[in-house]
Amino acid sequence: MKGTAFLLIVLIALTCLTCRNKSNSDSQFVFPEEDTIPLDEAEKLSTEAIEEIAKNISSPVEIANLLQTLAVPFSPEYLASSVDPNRQTTSFDKAFTLGILGADLGYLNMYEKTGSSIDILSSIRKLAEGIKVGQFFDFETIKRLSLSKSNLDSLLFMSIDSYTQIDKYLRDNDRGQLSALMIIGVWIEGQYLATQVMTEYPDPVLRDRIGEQKIILNDLILLANPYCNRDPEFGELCRDLQEIKQKYRDVKITYTLGEPVSREVDGALIVEQTETSVVEMTDEQLKEIIEITESVRNKLIANN
Amino acid sequence: MKKYLITLLLLTAGIFAFGQSTDPLVTQCVMNAGPNTKYLKDFRVQLGKAAAPGEFRYKTQMSLWKNTRYKFSLCTAEGSQGELILTIKNDANQVVLSSYDSNTGKTYKSVELVCNRSGIYQLNYDFKDGLQGSGVGVVSMVK
Repeated sequence: MKGTAFLLIVLIALTCLTCRNKSNSDSQFVFPEEDTIPLDEAEKLSTEAIEEIAKNISSPVEIANLLQTLAVPFSPEYLASSVDPNRQTTSFDKAFTLGILGADLGYLNMYEKTGSSIDILSSIRKLAEGIKVGQFFDFETIKRLSLSKSNLDSLLFMSIDSYTQIDKYLRDNDRGQLSALMIIGVWIEGQYLATQVMTEYPDPVLRDRIGEQKIILNDLILLANPYCNRDPEFGELCRDLQEIKQKYRDVKITYTLGEPVSREVDGALIVEQTETSVVEMTDEQLKEIIEITESVRNKLIANN
Repeated sequence: MKKYLITLLLLTAGIFAFGQSTDPLVTQCVMNAGPNTKYLKDFRVQLGKAAAPGEFRYKTQMSLWKNTRYKFSLCTAEGSQGELILTIKNDANQVVLSSYDSNTGKTYKSVELVCNRSGIYQLNYDFKDGLQGSGVGVVSMVK
């Protein structure tokens, strides 16, 4: 009887502790316990799940927008200009490079350097045709919009929409590995852009954005997982992503809670979050992330 | 007069530029998002009448980033019985915003979010009262 009562007290105490933790104002983002879903499991990821993951990957346009907000000047040095589409022989190279150049195109468009995007557009067309998705990239319209510089909104829409359609078509036609490569390429180039700018124009907002990539890194790995054993190229890419993840392991993202505040301005609703995310990343961790990003991106570009 | 001509020319250029798109409702919704916005994504929502109104039926996810102001535009196709509405929940399943005020019954055609917490958010779309409808949700950044 005494034993049961003691057990009950312990249980109640434990429950209270759990409750207290839940009501704490801070929570923290951590990678899931399991580093990766076992390959067999990953292959079972539904089309819908993969589609959701693909949507979570941030757009390079957002990174470019942030750089503009921070008054970072445009630099062609960041672009993967050395990539020659005629040297891409495998579907792996073509799809991955399509992603890299897609991010570069977003950067050029946001900075309205649209006149200089024609070379990249031509490369994108060649690569898209190389994996038989050229029909979704309306080269002539995008080129016309780029040269006229008159309608940036249409240009952004057309460019992003072309990539969305290519991505969907690939997934719908059992070529999900190419869709994954394209998305990973976009992310790596966006990350490269952010980290390179950080070395030249250090800024706390940009620093946070780099640290916050931890949030979607696991999704990116989930996207690649089903294909890691497909061929040596994919295997190496998966190892590279794991290496990047390793550098993020001790980056901490904590959240402070708060209720959103709404107001109506001229009939439009504006909601401001009072809850915030806070990134804790040491200079050493940042340095390692910058280095690994540069190394992985340059290696993949050089392979091409 | 000159001002009107320029406006007309710009509008025509916009329509021409978007003319290639397969879905006019999407292009119209993107154009209506406003001059100070930059397009990010669109979600095409087509739903029949719900058996019982309640949980939003079209669910999708998107990463939203701190220090960014987003605009969520909602466009309903002609002939729809219900109006497209949206709620956004954070990863703790808490409602961050809703384009529909259930207390007043008021709906908004667009909602802006000043995002201060980076994360993956759930975007839930449906038509008001679970009615049948066709619409587009466009997500843009406000510059």
